[in-house]
Amino acid sequence: MNSKSIRHYLLLNITWIMLCILPLTSQAQGLDFLRSTGKIYTVVVVIAIIFIGLAIYLIRLDNKLTKLENHIKNEQ
Amino acid sequence: MIQKGMWWKLSGIIIFLYVLWGGLTIPLRPGITSITPSSAKTGDTVTLKATGYNTHFASVKKGRAWLKLDSIHATKSLDWQSTDDNHVSLRFVLPQTLPNASEVFPLHLIIDNETDGAFVHPNAIFISSATDTLSFDNTSWSGHDLGQFSEHTGIQFPYRSILNETIRNTFFHVALWFAMFLLLIFGVYYSIQYLRTADYDFDRKASAYTNIAVLYGIFGILTGSVWAKFTWNTFWTNDVKLNMTAIALLIYLAYIILRGMNYDQDKRARLAAIYNIFAFIALIPLVFVIPRMTDSLHPGNGGNPALGGEDLDHTLRMFFYPSIIALFLIGKWIAELTIRFERVKDYFYLKNT
Repeated sequence: MNSKSIRHYLLLNITWIMLCILPLTSQAQGLDFLRSTGKIYTVVVVIAIIFIGLAIYLIRLDNKLTKLENHIKNEQ
Repeated sequence: MIQKGMWWKLSGIIIFLYVLWGGLTIPLRPGITSITPSSAKTGDTVTLKATGYNTHFASVKKGRAWLKLDSIHATKSLDWQSTDDNHVSLRFVLPQTLPNASEVFPLHLIIDNETDGAFVHPNAIFISSATDTLSFDNTSWSGHDLGQFSEHTGIQFPYRSILNETIRNTFFHVALWFAMFLLLIFGVYYSIQYLRTADYDFDRKASAYTNIAVLYGIFGILTGSVWAKFTWNTFWTNDVKLNMTAIALLIYLAYIILRGMNYDQDKRARLAAIYNIFAFIALIPLVFVIPRMTDSLHPGNGGNPALGGEDLDHTLRMFFYPSIIALFLIGKWIAELTIRFERVKDYFYLKNT
């Protein structure tokens, strides 16, 4: 593994972990915060999950493209 | 800069921005969050203290309220006193007799004023008889003409207790599942096309569409579980719909594994195409049939109405249907990018072997 792919791997893991602990942290201390003003922050969390998820998918696609590009570069 | 095939991708983004803007800025209709006391006896003079949400009680000039049993039986409040926009005290003198022969009956609170319009809080207070002998006489309850209600102008989303602002998740969580289903239809269409023509490009398309649909499914589970935490008070219930969608997602995960196997390309493509068709056929009873046969917390299942009434009224529809289209177009865009990447990759490796 070169340093670049390690960096990508770490980034991916960090986003995954953030995604996983998001509901847990809300349970630990932010419950009242998420329930305030008519539970509007629940909607914000839902939109954030969709956005982060799509971002992760695009980062993975980006990584695959970079790999292919490097292969093509090495061929030439 | 804008290429020829760009229009639907851009419209996906624009429609999604429209949904985000409208879905997050349009206010909810006024509603009542809590009422004290919750019970009273006939003949009592009760002062109901109501806490409102999105209400404008302080600026009200002509506020009226009723405790209503049904279309004929109601009693009008004598006094309207608001301390601020969200708190109002209503004084009712309950009649000495019960309107019908039941021992305890619930009354709905109707509040009407010129700024908020009219709105109802169901089962606001429970009334029981003050004496042991059940005397009923409906004349003291009838004859209160409810008259003309004020109407509120402008777009507002329905107020539902417990749901509150999370009714906006209809545009994100629910629309996500609908978009997922549309993408799966595309996936299964390309699988059938592959079996008909044996053109490997159809296999790529089927795989890309199914992948993004499964991703949407995972988002659906995650967003649903966050929504459930703050409305049903648990991340996961034993609701049939939850378990059945989890099974359906596992079936599709098996498709992704099958498609990702390092195996003879033609055989793999054919197997994956056949499996995809079977998975789609399994999905329909799992998601659309079984949850309707038992009790479920989801609207549209177990006798709950779906896509109707207050759960999805015309104001929600204005953003719900565009949201499905937008999420579908964004999914199609991402699927298209994956297809193009796979095409280039296959072309490159084919040239080098």
